[in-house]
Amino acid sequence: MNQRNLHLLLFAVILCILFPFSVRSQSGDTGESKISAGKIVLARAVMCEDLLELVPQNPTTVFSIERRKAICFTSFDPVPEKTIIYHQWFHRDQTSAKIKLTLKPPRWSTYSSIQFRAEDIGPWRVEITDSQGHILDVLRFSITE
Amino acid sequence: MDKFIYLILSLRWQDIIDISLVSYILFRFYVLFRGTNAFRVLIGMTILWIFQQIAVSIGLIVTSWVVQGVVALGAFIIIVIFRNEIRTVLLARNLKFIFWGVSSKTFTSTIEIIVQSVLDLARRNCGALIVLPGKEDLEEVIQKGIPWKGEISKEMILSVFWPDNPVHDGAAVIQGDQIVQVGAILPLSRRDDLPTYFGTRHRAALGLSEAADVLVIAVSEERGDVVAAQDSQLKVIKQKRRLEQILLQHMGTAAKKSRESIKERLMVITAALFSIIFVTGVWFSVSKGVYTLATFEIPVVYMNRDPAMEIIRTSVNTVSLELEGSGALIKSIKPDQIQVKLDLSKSKVGPNSFTITRESISLPPGIILKGLTPPVVDVDLDVLIKKDLSVQIDWVGKLPDHFVLTDATIKPKTVEIIGGKRMLEKMSTIYTEKVPLNNLEANGTITVNLALNPASLKTASDSNEKVAITYATKLRDNGSNF
Repeated sequence: MNQRNLHLLLFAVILCILFPFSVRSQSGDTGESKISAGKIVLARAVMCEDLLELVPQNPTTVFSIERRKAICFTSFDPVPEKTIIYHQWFHRDQTSAKIKLTLKPPRWSTYSSIQFRAEDIGPWRVEITDSQGHILDVLRFSITE
Repeated sequence: MDKFIYLILSLRWQDIIDISLVSYILFRFYVLFRGTNAFRVLIGMTILWIFQQIAVSIGLIVTSWVVQGVVALGAFIIIVIFRNEIRTVLLARNLKFIFWGVSSKTFTSTIEIIVQSVLDLARRNCGALIVLPGKEDLEEVIQKGIPWKGEISKEMILSVFWPDNPVHDGAAVIQGDQIVQVGAILPLSRRDDLPTYFGTRHRAALGLSEAADVLVIAVSEERGDVVAAQDSQLKVIKQKRRLEQILLQHMGTAAKKSRESIKERLMVITAALFSIIFVTGVWFSVSKGVYTLATFEIPVVYMNRDPAMEIIRTSVNTVSLELEGSGALIKSIKPDQIQVKLDLSKSKVGPNSFTITRESISLPPGIILKGLTPPVVDVDLDVLIKKDLSVQIDWVGKLPDHFVLTDATIKPKTVEIIGGKRMLEKMSTIYTEKVPLNNLEANGTITVNLALNPASLKTASDSNEKVAITYATKLRDNGSNF
């Protein structure tokens, strides 16, 4: 991990503290390509409890509310040009947050997260869409007691 | 008076039929069972029941309980103890009589008994002498016979004049419906113009008729003919009807019989009137008695909905009806006797408002609607469409802290759902029923139902309401933050 990535990570952590729905991004994560949309390719999308050196920790589909947060981690490879994507969080079918994330060439990893509140218990999903609104992937999970 | 007129005017044709039918049933009971022990007990029970009602109305709680118990026991007694009597009454009459006929009491009168006995004695050639006194006392005219004082019957008369009976040669004196003397000796007539074939009996009969106001019937032992002696005259009787006429004229019972017939008719008419008055009274006390106001929560039934449309939402599921009627009627109402129906035939897609009118509500007879809440019902209707929805698991509960649910796949991933267009357009996901995490093993497959919420949603015919979940857990990495 280079110095530039560390700065970006630090910036993202600060944003996460300031806002319940925060944006994290990291370049250099690679994985199997899942969905191709336009020029960017979503290589990996996963819900996890935490990130350790930009590696998803304990990928899961169930989060205890005691764990306080959920992270939606996405990795794109390639990213031909600077573009934006969205992580749209839904609690049941109601939009809870729509988070805009920037992708930069040549590949980019990024994530968003939510801080749990008592009323957030229930089924959730995160729709990952490109700048045109095309759905790249849908991640489903539940927040439980 | 005004109240009475109001009550009469408020009667419906159903009420008239109601009162008439029950009155007629009561009257039929009287006709069928009068004179029986069961009927007498029934009258006693009715009096007890009236007494119980009075006790209830004036607040005599224990008395009313006791009387109620006695009445209940009495009903049991009537059926059990008098079952043979009831059966006899019913079996002895045909169906037409049970529903329509009116029996008059059978008066087998003294005259009929005498006539039958005399004719029978004549047929058997048994000599007989029967004295029927008029207004005069016969004590001084006839030689006292043997006191008898037996109720008159054909068998009794036949036995008195039976040839081997020691008193058969004497006369039997009948007063009213009793044979008061037998073996009486009558004075003989001294007339010499009598035919030679008349014997001592005929002379005795004529002799008494000459001496007193009396009718004497003589039966010849030799020829078996019947002769009536009255007013110093002998009349040979050849016809039964003639004998009846003579007896009727002498005893003056024709009028008596007619009076009994009139009395009998009056009894029937009185019973019929009593039935009508009693039932009318009971009917008014039940249906128009003390009015009670009660509130009922009644479910709304939506009818004539376009099959292509679905009810998405209603402002209420039940309406509150304020009903008024007599306490007895209000208490006897069953929930299924009241219905609130809304006609959706003219409804359109989207929100509709319906005012509940009196015509929308069906009530039992005698119950009046005083108010309803709410008067207006909002119904949201939508066109039915089909849509494929992604299925998502609705996990609940908690996994042990050291476990993580790493994977959970669902099969099928989508199901075709039928529901209102406006609702389904907003939906992209259908959830399973709540799946508890607490009981999960390390990995496995479970089958759960879909939670079709709202209830108007249905799975398409080719979709299953059950889905299979295959899951896997693993131990949590220690490096995770918490």
